[in-house]
Amino acid sequence: MTQQTNTNRLSRRSYVKAAGLIGTVGLGGIAGCSGDSNGGDGTTTSGGDGTTTTTSDGGSGAPLEVLHGWTGGDGAKAADALQSAFEEAHPDVNFEFNPIGGGGNQNLDAVVANRLQSNDPPSSFANWPGKNLLRYEGVLGNVDDVWSEAGFEDSHIQEAVDLHQQNGAYRAVPLGSHRLNCLFYNKAVVEEAGVDVDSLDSPSALISAMDQVASSTDKTPMTHAMSGTWTTTQLWAAVMLGENGYDSYMNFIEGNGSEDEVRAAFERTAEILENYISDDAASLDLTQSNQNIINGNAAFIHQGNWAAGAYRNAENFAYDEDWGFKTFPGTENMYTLHFDSFLYPANNPTPEKTKTFMKFVGSAEAQIAFNQYKGSIPTRTDVDMSQFGPYLQETAEDFADAEYRPPTLQHGLAVTSQKMTQLNEVISGEFTGPYNVDAATTGFLDAVSN
Amino acid sequence: MLAIYRWLRKGLIAMANTEDASDDVRTDGGTTTAPAGGDSNGAISRLSDAFDRRFGSDFVESSPFWLPPFLLMALAVYGAISWNLLISLTDYQGFAQAIDYSNLDFEMYSKALADPGFMDAAANTLVLLLAFTGSTLLVGLLLAILVDRGIRFENTFRTVYLLPMSLSFVVTAQFWLWMYNYNNGAANLVLGYLNLGPFHWIGNQDIVLWAVIFALMWQFSGYAMVVYLAGLRAIPNEHYEAAKVDGASTFKMYWRVIIPQLKGATISAAVVLMVFALKAFDFLYSLVSGYRPPNGSDILATKMVREAYQNLNWAYGSAIAIVLFLMALGVIGPYLYHQYKRDNL
Repeated sequence: MTQQTNTNRLSRRSYVKAAGLIGTVGLGGIAGCSGDSNGGDGTTTSGGDGTTTTTSDGGSGAPLEVLHGWTGGDGAKAADALQSAFEEAHPDVNFEFNPIGGGGNQNLDAVVANRLQSNDPPSSFANWPGKNLLRYEGVLGNVDDVWSEAGFEDSHIQEAVDLHQQNGAYRAVPLGSHRLNCLFYNKAVVEEAGVDVDSLDSPSALISAMDQVASSTDKTPMTHAMSGTWTTTQLWAAVMLGENGYDSYMNFIEGNGSEDEVRAAFERTAEILENYISDDAASLDLTQSNQNIINGNAAFIHQGNWAAGAYRNAENFAYDEDWGFKTFPGTENMYTLHFDSFLYPANNPTPEKTKTFMKFVGSAEAQIAFNQYKGSIPTRTDVDMSQFGPYLQETAEDFADAEYRPPTLQHGLAVTSQKMTQLNEVISGEFTGPYNVDAATTGFLDAVSN
Repeated sequence: MLAIYRWLRKGLIAMANTEDASDDVRTDGGTTTAPAGGDSNGAISRLSDAFDRRFGSDFVESSPFWLPPFLLMALAVYGAISWNLLISLTDYQGFAQAIDYSNLDFEMYSKALADPGFMDAAANTLVLLLAFTGSTLLVGLLLAILVDRGIRFENTFRTVYLLPMSLSFVVTAQFWLWMYNYNNGAANLVLGYLNLGPFHWIGNQDIVLWAVIFALMWQFSGYAMVVYLAGLRAIPNEHYEAAKVDGASTFKMYWRVIIPQLKGATISAAVVLMVFALKAFDFLYSLVSGYRPPNGSDILATKMVREAYQNLNWAYGSAIAIVLFLMALGVIGPYLYHQYKRDNL
């Protein structure tokens, strides 16, 4: 008995010891292996695929992994439509279309940044082209062949051609475009106030219209979401365009802005924010702010035309009957340009499949599937717009006919992400009430000039 | 670092020794070691005694139990911290260039000191840390004393007060965002009955940090209450009775007799609360669903994430992270030392 327990104990001890040793060695092994295999995978696949681009990787091998940030409402629906359209057109490609939600692309950017940094890029990811590409300088591959084979240069506007290049090569393909210089309004409220919206042709005319709303109704003249700073930066850019015109705006984003003109735009914006927005603006986000238009609590809102998606989904809220659209006063001949694009990372895990995908993204088929749900318009100028609603049809006409297409300041096209952060830092510090026009002017000019 | 090095070295020597003497009869771990050096004072001698105790004959036998978790911790925590420190000394930014470790300097730290945004964030973090911890302890103590007075429905009240603690920051941030709404939020409604306000809780940069602190205090005072309650229950009834016999008023009894005995509870609750204060990132992120909190409530954690992921200033972000780490260490360090002095470690 004693002996038995003794042997048992010994064997249990040696068993524990052995298990522990195996565990330790295993752990060390895992640590070593994972380190090795990471490096190994990274280099071999990238090297292999990079050099042997002729071998088709369709059908088998790594799946086509595309990251995007369209998780809510319209965006999710549009992403689903794009995915099923692609899967229908290319049933042989193993397609993973992964949404990364939250915070206006912030989480998507963070995930993409981590993966690019650890040399584990996705096949493609949604982002903005233009100056925003500088953020990814050095890690984007070349898709010149996609543009030339699919003939995108002829089917797209010149701004799209320019903004999707970096260092002389195409880095991305556009999917759709939102418009930024939009003023939406609740028809019942402006009629109650007796405002003729179509006659507004300058920011000061807008201000007197809002004055009229304030004096003759109990509604908020303009609803503005200030829980983030991006809405204010965006509003300032619209006022800047409306107040000073296209050239002044372009000079500003190139770093040669006129101080007087920047100040004038800030003074106008401050006049709006000090007098005509709701008291609870600071705790409103875009959805809540937009709800004020739908509920008839506010007359105007300035937003990109993604705001119109919420009107379409609201019940009994029809275009031209309940809500209306006006190009932001003073910007009548312009279309403030925004692009949703797919970027092509270098060291691509699936170069052939990704290029197939990108050719598809630029096609009329994909752009119709996606944009009609997203509330944006195709970036091609040869698309049949009959499947879109009347509002987007008008937008597409404006897009094709606009005299100027200034790039959006807040959404990546006009300035680098670094400068954009800096601009928002200035708005946050100087222009969220109290509104310090002098400091904001200096801050903006400093931010874009260096 | 030095301690870890010495410790590993000793371990290796011990391992070699046992391998040499592998045929020898193994002493049973634990019984052979004498209860070493209780008399010898001084941290160093006690440390060496502790090492002797720990790296005696059972070093190898015990290694299966502590080595795997130790390696995991070393890699995931201390390895990551050291790597982060290393990155903060470089000029790494963007994706274009690889990290250059050859040119290490403290440029990022001097950049931080010259950056008004960083100084604001650091000041806010410090205010948040102190004001939140202080007010939460105070409210927790008051609640604990009230609950401890033998009221009816004691358990119910305890649950009521503790419940907010179980909610996620995401939920509480949304609650308070609604409550702080200028037009129809509960905060302004209640103050309206008292003919106060309304206040721009979120919009006014002088108030917003205090509004955030109040919301966090609401969430965590229940935790402080539970810790204090445990401390109060440990105090024998005789102390209350003796104070009463001596004619102390209720206030004096608590002030002179009971609260001084809650020092341990205060310290342990304070440390946990301070660590929570440093993690207020979640709350601020959920408040505005973004990395940029309302003006006047930016803290180091949000600033760090913005620098790293929006500006791709990896090195600068790492430097801010190290500052944050040092602040956390400044909180935890004295606590660990205190515990060590009391032989609790």
